[in-house]
Formats: sequence, C-alpha cells, structure tokens
Amino acid sequence: MSLPLYYFLAIAAIYILMSWSIYIPYRVGQLHFMTVANMAISAYFAALMAINFSWPFWLVLIAGTLLGALIGFLVSLAIGDAPCFAVVIVGFTFIYLTKTIIENVEAFGGPLGIFSIPKVMQTSSSNRVFLLITAYALVLLTGYLIKRFDRSRLGRAASAIFIDRDLAVSFGVDVKKMGMFLQSWASAVGGMSGVLYAFIMQSISPNHFTFHIVGICMTMLFVGGYSTIWGALLAAPILWGFPLILPEVLQSWNIVIYGVLLIVVLVIKPEGIITRPMIKKLESILLRKKKLV
Amino acid sequence: MEVLIAQIFNGLSLGSIYVLLVTGFNLLLLVAMIIHFSFPVVVVFSMYVSWAVMTATGMVPLGILAGILSAIAVNVVTAPMFQHIMKKRGSVDINATMVISMGMGMIITDILSHTFNQGFPIAFPDALTGNDKGALISTRLISISRGQVLTLIIGVIFVLFLFWLLYKTRAGRAFRAIAEDPNGAKLVGIPLLKTGLQSYALTGILGGVTAVLMAVLLGSASAGLGDQLGHKVLAVSIIAGLGNLKGGLIIGLLLGVLEAVIQGYLAGSWSNAIAFIIMLIVILAKPKGVFGSSL
Repeated sequence: MSLPLYYFLAIAAIYILMSWSIYIPYRVGQLHFMTVANMAISAYFAALMAINFSWPFWLVLIAGTLLGALIGFLVSLAIGDAPCFAVVIVGFTFIYLTKTIIENVEAFGGPLGIFSIPKVMQTSSSNRVFLLITAYALVLLTGYLIKRFDRSRLGRAASAIFIDRDLAVSFGVDVKKMGMFLQSWASAVGGMSGVLYAFIMQSISPNHFTFHIVGICMTMLFVGGYSTIWGALLAAPILWGFPLILPEVLQSWNIVIYGVLLIVVLVIKPEGIITRPMIKKLESILLRKKKLV
Repeated sequence: MEVLIAQIFNGLSLGSIYVLLVTGFNLLLLVAMIIHFSFPVVVVFSMYVSWAVMTATGMVPLGILAGILSAIAVNVVTAPMFQHIMKKRGSVDINATMVISMGMGMIITDILSHTFNQGFPIAFPDALTGNDKGALISTRLISISRGQVLTLIIGVIFVLFLFWLLYKTRAGRAFRAIAEDPNGAKLVGIPLLKTGLQSYALTGILGGVTAVLMAVLLGSASAGLGDQLGHKVLAVSIIAGLGNLKGGLIIGLLLGVLEAVIQGYLAGSWSNAIAFIIMLIVILAKPKGVFGSSL
C-alpha cells in the first residue's frame, strides 16, 4: 500500500471517530470539545508508556480509552447538565491547558513533541495493514454502539432532551445522568483516537492537538448532518480528502474552505446534508427492494 | 508592594478592554439573540485593517477611522446571515449561531495568518502608541504609559455611555424590551429587524473603538490573539452570567487585575494558564454563572 493512501485512510478513520465523539454529546445539545484534549492526553500517555515501559499496543489502547473515560467522567460530574456554552468553554480551557502543560514540561518533549513511537508489527508494511484494520474495526465497533444507542430507549430520551429539555424532565428523564454518560463515552472515544493517532503517526507534537481539530471536526459533523451517524461518516473522508487533490496554492486555504462550507450549509440547511427523514426514506427503499427479491 | 500597585493599574487598563469586549458580546446576545463567539476575532481583524492603512498611508487618524469602519462593516454585513438563522428559531437552537460564529472566526483567523505581513505579528507605529515619548508617570517600579491611561479613560467613558444609552434612552429601552421578550416588544410596536440591525451597528462601533484601544495598549497583534480573547470573553460572560451586563463589568475588571497580578510574580505562558485554571474552577463550580443569567 502506498504511503499517501495509507495516511489518507488512517487519518480519515481518526477524523470519523473524532467527529463522532462530538456527535455523541450533541445528542443532548452539548458541544463537548474536551474530546480533543482527551485525544492529546491519551496520545501522550500512549507514547510515554510504549517508549518508556514498552507496554504492548492493546494494553495501551485499552488504558488510553479508560483514561479518556475517567477524565470525561470526572469533568461531567460538574458539567453533566450544564448549558451548551459552559460545556464549550470548559472544553476550550482544557485544550488550552493541555497544550500549555505539554509545551512547558520537559518530560513531554516540549514544543517538539515525542518521536520514534515503536511500531506494533515488525515490518512497516505489516504495521500499516494492522493499524488500518484496527482503526476501521474500531470505527465499526463505535458506529455499531452509537447505532444501538440511537435506537434504544436511551437514544429516544436523548432526542427528547435535545428538542425540549423541560418536557424531557417532566417525562422522568434524568438529564444530568444522560449528559454524564454521553460525555464520558465521548471522552473515551476521544482517548481511543488519540492512542490510534500516536501509533499511526509515530510522532506527536503539541501543535497536532489544537483548535484547528475542533474546527475541522465541527465542520465534518455539521456539514454532514448532526442528526444521524451517517453525516460524519461520509463527510469526514470527503472533507479531509478533497483539499489533498486541490492545487498547492489552494491547499493552505483549507481552513477557509471549511469555514465557508460550514456557514453556507448551516444557513441553507441547518440540519446538515444528511438528515433523519432522508435515512428513513433510503431504508424503506432498500427494504422494499429486498422484499421484491 | 509597589509591584502590586503597578500591576493593579496595568490590570485595570487590560480589564477595561475585557469589559468593552464582553459588553459588545452581551449586547449581541441580548438584542440579536446570537452567541457571537468570534466577536473578539472581528475586533482583531479591525486592528489588522487599521494597521494596514496606517503602514500604507502613514496617517494615524486615517488608520483609526478605517479600523472603526471595518468593524461596523463586518458586523453589519454578517448580520443577515445570523438573522436568517434566527428566523427559524423554532427548528434551530441558539447553539447554531455559536457554530456559525466559530466558522466565521476560523475564516478570519486563517485569512489574518495568511495575508497580512506574511502571517507574522504586526507592530503598531509609535505615533499611535506613544511609546517613543516615554512613560507618563514613573517612580522607581511604577511606570504608567500614556496608552494605559488613555485606554482606562476611554474605556470607562464608553462603558458609561453604553449604560446611559441602554438604561436612560428610548432606544435603549427598545433594546432591553427585545431582550426581555421579543414577541411582547413586537406587540407594542418596536421594529424587531431595525433594532436588531442597530444593535449590530452599535456593537460594530464598540468593536472598532476597542480595536483602536487594544492597538494603543498592546502595541502589537497576532492572528491567534482573536481566538484567545474569544475564549476569555466567553468565559468571563459565563462566569458573570450570560447577558448580565453589570456582572460582565465586574468580572472583566477582575480578570484583568488577576492576570496582571499573576504576571507580576510569574513569568511566561504559565501566568495565562493559571488565569484559565481559575476561570475553569469557577465555571465547573457554577456553570450557570455567579450573578445569574438574564436569558
């Protein structure tokens, strides 16, 4: 497999996971950008554990995911039912603090970051194939879990909170517990993608985990459509891929392109390109075809 | 002790900048019902425009005028976008305006870091900042520059003017009526769209003046400044309670003094981090604000 294709596919998987990690708490109307900080923390945790203590990949992956979940849970104790803007600013503050700490502490490699994170497999080509398969297996697993959640009682309760919080409370939905659950889950997904990112790139630096990731993932989620999991799944590879085939002059403007796309889609189609009725319609068409056969 | 006094004065002039920014943010939130997260980014954009005009023509007043006009222009031009979103308020929540504003911030910050001065930080001429004339008052450790005094005085005057406008005039009553109850305001004959546009223009003027004051006080700017200010302004207004003008006044000044005092005793990027940690603790403890939100 060629190197550019590998990086395209691997980073696309990371972006899908990160967009979903913003999608999960947005089910109750919270923009939980702390997942980007979780990504950074778990990536550094993974790198240090793999280099200094030569922990195996699976152990690091599980520990990094749990670390994300733990941090997410502890923070959600305070902001589980907070209004959206408070959650946003907590996320931004965490990203800023994580970056400051990483940049200023010697053990984390300072502004240069950490290099030479070990390979999981012996040869580079088998390492790439292994990581790609793992990444997409995790995308499938996460997608399956979100789909199960969306179709369950809990998912309907989350939708009720999104539409009308007071009504949901009067129906007996525990808003705080739901927010805590979704925030911890999202942070776990963030931590998981951080570990994957560290092993895919084999080098990490504080500049990889800044506000531009927030902007990019937010664009993927809102352009694709925030009401189903399919929006981020389709938008992430397309939006991450298309600036790569643009001429070099335009490539450096990709953030401007993302920003314009985000605004245009939100103004014209506030729910994003892929909406729930659209998915329902598609499903009914597909099911009808099956019956005919 | 002298360091403390000097830093408190520094902090008050920095705080008056925060107060101006938070007041603009809160005005847009109350009257136009948008969370304009990137309002400080627009202000930094005006700083860049005024710098570009100053270096191109060499005339300081022209640069100041250009800065103020560009802030008004950006605010009024982007108004229809927000109004369009808010027309569908039934199906879209207020968070959508914040996302749009963040998108706007992404665009402006990226343009600033690509075009002006090849992305390097800009420095304003001495004719504006008055640094060449030396400090206004200086005794051993305390040194107060002309810029600081000017910022504090104009900041106080402008905030007083805004409060007078909001609480003592007819137009201000219309603003507050819309903030209280848009439908009720419509019933008693207040034109919603026109008043909304007026609030955009008013915050534009506010933003332009803030941009000029920031240029005088800081003497330089970089593309990342807007984002950092954006976070601080949102944090301040959440701590004060969203839409709470008087709370924003107190917390804004407090943050300025806090930052300056920390900077007096601690060097480097840690001082900023400590200010953020303190804000984080307050937000985690009181996510709905200290003084209560008026939303």
